[in-house]
This record gives sequence, C-alpha cells and structure tokens, in this order.
Amino acid sequence: MSAEQLQRVKQVLREFILDSINIRNLGDDDDLFESGIVNSLFAVQWMTFIEKKFKIEIGVEDLDIQNFKSLNAATAFVMRQNGSADLTSL
Amino acid sequence: MTGILDLLTSSQAARYQEFQSFTSDKIQHSADQWDRDQRLPDSIITELAEAGYLGSTLPQEFGGAGWDTVTFGLLSEALGRGSSSVAVLVTVQAMVTMALLKWGTPAQKAEWLPPLAKGRMLAAFALTEPGAGSATDSLTTQLIPDGSDGFTLHGTKRWISCAQMASVFLVFAKLEGQPVACLVPGNAPGLLIEPITDLLGFRAAGLAQVSFDGVTVPAGNIVGKVGFAISHVATLGLQHGRISTACSGLGLLRGCFEESIAYASNRKIGESYVGDLGMIRSLITRMGTDLQAGRLLCFHACRAEDDHDPAAFEKTLVAKYFTSRAAGLAASDAVQIRGASGCHDSSSAARYYRDSKIMQIIEGTTQIHEQLLGKVFLGQAARIASKTV
Repeated sequence: MSAEQLQRVKQVLREFILDSINIRNLGDDDDLFESGIVNSLFAVQWMTFIEKKFKIEIGVEDLDIQNFKSLNAATAFVMRQNGSADLTSL
Repeated sequence: MTGILDLLTSSQAARYQEFQSFTSDKIQHSADQWDRDQRLPDSIITELAEAGYLGSTLPQEFGGAGWDTVTFGLLSEALGRGSSSVAVLVTVQAMVTMALLKWGTPAQKAEWLPPLAKGRMLAAFALTEPGAGSATDSLTTQLIPDGSDGFTLHGTKRWISCAQMASVFLVFAKLEGQPVACLVPGNAPGLLIEPITDLLGFRAAGLAQVSFDGVTVPAGNIVGKVGFAISHVATLGLQHGRISTACSGLGLLRGCFEESIAYASNRKIGESYVGDLGMIRSLITRMGTDLQAGRLLCFHACRAEDDHDPAAFEKTLVAKYFTSRAAGLAASDAVQIRGASGCHDSSSAARYYRDSKIMQIIEGTTQIHEQLLGKVFLGQAARIASKTV
C-alpha cells in the first residue's frame, strides 16, 4: 500500500468527519469520542461509512476504540483491513 | 404505502399487497377486541410466524426471508394499519435479531437466529429501566463476574414490549461501569416476568416488568464487546426499531385517514354529509397531506438503510419523528370527526388515539428526537454558513 493511497484514505475519512460534525479543524490524532463533539449516532455512522466506502465488514472482533477513535486510528484500520476496496478509485 | 407504488420494485409492490391482505383478513376485525382483552391470541403469533413475518429481514442462511428494509417497512406499515400491538411484535423481533446478526458470535447466531427467524421463539429488547428510559447512561442493572468464567445478572427492566411472550431477552446492563449486552433465556432461574396491564395504548403488546435476581449468564452470551453495548449494539437495534415504528405509525395514520373518510362520507347531519363540512375537510386534508409526506420520509429512510448509507440514521429519526406526531394529530382528529362514538372503546378511533401517544414515546421520545435532530440540523446549517463565508 503506497503512501499516496494512505493519504487518500485519510482524506476520504477526514471529509466524512468534517461533513458530519461541526468542527473547523481536525488533527490527525484528535480523539473523536472524548472531545464531546460527536452525537450518540456518530459511532455507528462512522462505522457504516467505513464499511460502505472501503467495502469492509466490521465484525465484533473489530470493536475496539483503538480502531476508530481518531483519523489516524481509522486510517490505519482501513489500511490493515483493506481487502476488496479499490483504493485507486477513491 | 400506496402513493409511492411507482417508487417500489414489482416485488416490493406485490409483497405490500400481500401484507395488506394479511392485515385485512387476520387483524383488522379483531384488533379492537385484542385491545380490550389486553393480549394477543396465540393464533395471530402463529400466523405471523408461518407467513415469515417474524424473521423477514434475516438472511436465508439463518432461516429468514432476506427481505430488504423497504419491504420490512411496508410490512410494518400494513400491520400498523391493523394493530399497533401486532406491529410491535415485528418491531421488537427485528431489533433483537438485527443487533444479533451484526454483533453476535457465530455460535450465538447459530443457536438463536434460526428459531427467531421462524418465529418459534420471540425476543424482547430489555433496555428501559424504572429509572432509566432515554438516559441510557443511568442503567443500574449489573452484570457481575461470578468468579469463574461467567456472570450473574441483577436488576429490573420495565416497560419491556413483548416481554410476556418472549423466550429470550437481549438485556443491557453495566459490567464494572461499562455498558454490556447479553442474551438471557426467558426460562432462566431467577428471571421474573410481571405483566403490566391497563396501559394507555399498546395494550395487547405484552409489556412487562422483568427482574433478574442473580440470573446466571455464561460468558458466551455476551453480545458485542463490553463498552460498546449502547453505542453499537443498542443503537443498531433501535435503528431497526425506529424504522419499524415510523412505518407502523404511518399505518396508524392511514387507518385514521381511511376510517375518517368512510365515516364522513356516510354520516349525515340533516341533509348534509359530515364530509361536506369545510371544517371536516380541513382535518381530512391535513391527514391526507401528512400521509403522503410520511410515506416519502419512510421510504427514503428505508432505502437509505438498504444502501448502507450513514445518513440512514438521521433519515430514520426524521421519519419516526414525523409519523409519530402526525399519527397523534390524525388520531385526535379521527376521534373528533366521529364525535361521541369516537370516544368509546367500540371505536377503532379511540384505540388509534391511545396507541398514537405511545408512538411518540417508544424508540426515543419526541423530545429525544428533537435533541438529536436539532443538533444535526444546526450543525448542517453551520457548515453551510462556513462554506459561504
């Protein structure tokens, strides 16, 4: 997986967050769930977006806050899980 | 959801015809009596199971029908036209089965989903407590390690729909301060089910208080992971509950509309029909307009869920918020149009009126919807504004 693809994944994830919550700037390691900026639906919407966009099936074994808590965490998760997604098309 | 037929596939439209016939043949004429009896007969549960309506959204590999969410919404709407108490059976079964389908282990799915899909077993979603309704952070039910591999469950759940008929409960509790979900068989020693009677509405929906006095829970019965029970397990179950309730409320609204039109067209005041009065036409116009708007909101929420669209959660909140309030208004007006006869138990309008109030409370109160959606809409407005600066 190239550095370019990693940056593209991170950009796609960043755009979803900025389009979903009311925040102007988002640091790569900002904790989405401790900052109080997300509502109670965000966790499942975040998961649903990742599943749909990257063709990943998130299962019970993936339920770990370390996989979803920040932009960098989710990017790393997507890169580890990426099986069928065509990242070049993002 | 007649009026959106051009948006449905031929398969969805055919199913909807089937659901309406089922309601007309097996529910509509008995619903008032079931409401007075405060219970559903076993026969209607058997009929629902045999028709495949209790596991309709589960994949075929688990014995379900594998229907899409639009079809499930159509089923909820058709059943809701006949009886909110019948519709809630389908609602609760979907809440538990879809949460289990997503977050259950392979062993849990293999054990529980096939009997639930076939309706040989009914489920209940045990979240609400006497002191914790919308405030899920305040759960007091405790899952306590038993010193070996398992746990014991202690606490009380209240206002649990279908609990009187349930063979298995998806219970939400706290484990060392973290939210946890677990499966508990209805016949587990230490589990006590106490029916709640004389409710305002949903009187045949089998509500009960459920107490757990040291009920043994094997580690293998925990659903999802500790810490994710509310954010992921309950939220996913409630999503399917809200979809079904939104559509069921739409069915109730249609019932008010259809019965009000029939009454207004046949009841005479002097030489005029009730429906000739401008004031009555105003009431019916509001019902009919809300019905059309509600159909579109429900359809788009269901389709978003089928598309696995993250916006499905917000669209479902909007649909449930709209139809539950519109159903309340329509039921009030349906009673008004009937006059005194609408105020008696012999009238379906009276049942609609009582049931419609429950619609505004279950699966998140109207005020919780406003709290969530208000934040969503304000956020959207702020983002639009920031882009135009």
